Amino acid sequence: MAQVGERESEEFTLVTTKPYFDLPTACPLCLPLFIYLKLAHFPFSLSFNSIFPDSDQIPYVESGTYVAYNNENGGVIENLKRDGIVDLDSEFLSVPDWVAMKAMISSWLADAMMYELWVGSDGKSACKIYYSDLSWPIGKVLFLKQVYNIKQRLGITKDNAEQMEDEIYKRAEIAYGALSTRLGDQNFLFDDRPSSLDATFLGHVLVTLHALPETSVLRSKLLEHGNVVRYAEKHRTELIESSSSSSGPQFRSVPSSSTPKRGSKPKSQPKREKTEGEKTFKRRARYFLAAQLLAVLLFLSLMGGNDAGDMELDDEDEGNAFD
Amino acid sequence: MSNPDSVPDLTPPDSERQKPFDTNEIDDEDGNDGDENDVEDDDEDEDGNDGVFRGPNRPKPQSREARFRSGKLKMESLLQRMKTGPVSVRVHDVIIKGNTKTKDHIIEAETELLNNVGSMQELLKASQIVNLRLQALEIFDSVKITLDSGPPELPGTANVIIEVVETANPLSGQIAAFTKAEARYSTVEGSLKYKNLFGYGDLWDGSLAYGYDHSTELSAGLYLPRFKGLVTPVTARAYLLSQDWLKFSSYKEQSMGLSLGLFSSEHHDVAYNIAWRTLTDPSQMASRFVRRQLGHNLLSSLKYTFKVDRRNSPMRPTRGYAFVSTTQLGGLVPDNRSLRFLRQEFDLRYAVPLGFYRAALNFGVSGGVVFPWGNGFSSKPSSLPERFFLGGNISPVCALGGPTTLWGFKTRGLGPTEPRRHVNDGTADPSGVDFLGGDLAFTALADLSFDLPFRWFREKGIHAHVFACAGNVAKLTENEYRNFSVQKFVESLRSSVGVGLVVPTSFFRMELNYCYIVKKFDHDRAKTGVRLTFFAAP
Repeated sequence: MAQVGERESEEFTLVTTKPYFDLPTACPLCLPLFIYLKLAHFPFSLSFNSIFPDSDQIPYVESGTYVAYNNENGGVIENLKRDGIVDLDSEFLSVPDWVAMKAMISSWLADAMMYELWVGSDGKSACKIYYSDLSWPIGKVLFLKQVYNIKQRLGITKDNAEQMEDEIYKRAEIAYGALSTRLGDQNFLFDDRPSSLDATFLGHVLVTLHALPETSVLRSKLLEHGNVVRYAEKHRTELIESSSSSSGPQFRSVPSSSTPKRGSKPKSQPKREKTEGEKTFKRRARYFLAAQLLAVLLFLSLMGGNDAGDMELDDEDEGNAFD
Repeated sequence: MSNPDSVPDLTPPDSERQKPFDTNEIDDEDGNDGDENDVEDDDEDEDGNDGVFRGPNRPKPQSREARFRSGKLKMESLLQRMKTGPVSVRVHDVIIKGNTKTKDHIIEAETELLNNVGSMQELLKASQIVNLRLQALEIFDSVKITLDSGPPELPGTANVIIEVVETANPLSGQIAAFTKAEARYSTVEGSLKYKNLFGYGDLWDGSLAYGYDHSTELSAGLYLPRFKGLVTPVTARAYLLSQDWLKFSSYKEQSMGLSLGLFSSEHHDVAYNIAWRTLTDPSQMASRFVRRQLGHNLLSSLKYTFKVDRRNSPMRPTRGYAFVSTTQLGGLVPDNRSLRFLRQEFDLRYAVPLGFYRAALNFGVSGGVVFPWGNGFSSKPSSLPERFFLGGNISPVCALGGPTTLWGFKTRGLGPTEPRRHVNDGTADPSGVDFLGGDLAFTALADLSFDLPFRWFREKGIHAHVFACAGNVAKLTENEYRNFSVQKFVESLRSSVGVGLVVPTSFFRMELNYCYIVKKFDHDRAKTGVRLTFFAAP
């Protein structure tokens, strides 16, 4: 079921945003990863970063000097699969519905969640989830910046706001319908075995049910699918509440890393070699230029007659005269 | 422009009337523009204000030479009187002329000490001081102070006439280099200044500074000499600062803030700073400790600096002592989510002249400690940018301002480290570490400088020095203080010795040193060899 890679005995730590709304983490990007590791029965401890909400590195998994960031290689789950640490999906990739479901969850539902959290509802939930540990002026500015970014990403303008909203909700409704049908009365979406799609879908559903306000349109649409709600609550009880009683996630508010939007891998092998050589060359060129400039300055100063010492003495005397 | 002579200039007088203080008059009509202190004796002073000495019924004026001779005699007799004892006079009125834009109260505030003079000698000295102070406001092209006699019904009084010429061109620019001891690197700064925009002596400036260690600062500032009756000038500076520490500690720092200089005198300085600071890691290679520190913080702190510098020169101290103590308290907002810390550093220097070849022994000791405060402070980490980092290319002898550098050690080159992220692509550099700095730092130095026995070197000020230094940083936060012991700290002191040549130029002081690293630890970035250090006085 789950493949646990060969690692040193160092413990794995998952770094997410802080817990809220009775969830171990209320961020819709972080909760799926938590659930995924729980579904895989992968041992890990939990740590929080509450001062970098606009980071795209969070959530990340670390162990010693190993780190799997969310903004590399398609996300933490893909990283963990690639590095042979955890993989729940090895048997599902050939299932015909898999790709369609994955596309629906990662685009339509993800967009709907982003919209509802930042634009659709009054934003209070988002502020609580992300900015409750930041000083007010910073939180306010980051919130406004994020709302603007979301609108840009979803292509929402003043003219098409209503139309876009309708479209987002309609797609979410279609996605809920399809997933509800797919789920039926099973415990999991595929073959009654957990997969990363279950983790992602569960994360979305739990945040929608617990973090969004009751007036939320998205939430009301989700409540129409009773089997989905039952599925989410059942797993919540099993995975989250049982884990909090046993291992007890550490509620340390520690800052974590983040980067402003960057590409995927930091470096690839051929690129790094090239950059090293270039870097050395540039460094040497800089030293050469600096040495030239220094020589010119020295020449001007020394050959031009240096009275710096005397001048300083005069200044000192003048300064003292008026004490 | 300013020429504070103690003896007033003489020009031909045109009156012989005796006055209570018996000065000779100086005729300004011939246009002595270069003179700053003119003593005038206005005998017929129905108007008494403008140095015109003719009354309505005067006889024909004497010849110029005769006037000159008579004036000279009078001046000599006045000076004779002044030599023997105080010539009593008090100031009746201070008249300000020439300020079209500058508000009167700005100039009057600088002339307050004229009101307390009791003698001619004090008046002359006070006039010089007032002249310098007005020049120091930087908003006037020239300042001329004329002493005139007071109204005839009040004997023994004088009027002081201050004529200012406001700057014709209020915009000025400059490029300067200096070393910021706090930042531990040298900076080149280009700035534009606009003087006296609103007539309050306000100086506005915008500047762009680039530091040696890839830091950039864009800032705009305001200097107000008199703000609502406050004793000292007030400065305000808004800045955007970006510092790149990726090579040393895998993070970049961006700050946007406002700093207010609240009080500044010769020995004391109080400043308040509020800033939004963000630490990021674009390289995604940071170690665990640095990853935990990345994010946004609100910094609201008050900083008090006490400074006494009695050394004869900051560039080549050969005599005297200096002491600097800086206390910074962060978290001065009711919001407990802002950064809360207490940082204290001190620096003590002592220079002893040895009497031959202009030799001097310089001793220096500096230390600092930083600690967070608030609930659970002992287990919280201190903030990375507030920690102490030792190493760099500035000269330890000159840089005053806490423990900053040791000869031979590179920027952020010693102290606690943590391994960076390991990326599994085959070309990973396993020795990559992040320097984390410490909560407690200590450095000590001894430096013997002496002239070289060659005249050319002596003329240029180039001299040699032999030095030794030691220092260490340690972590105290996150409960590490329980494992701290002074003995361990002393045993792990890094040290270096060396010899070098010091080249002081008009821009900066450069040292070309050969450093021998006596003690260092595994990850320290220090090498025995030739190194250049710099220092530019701010």
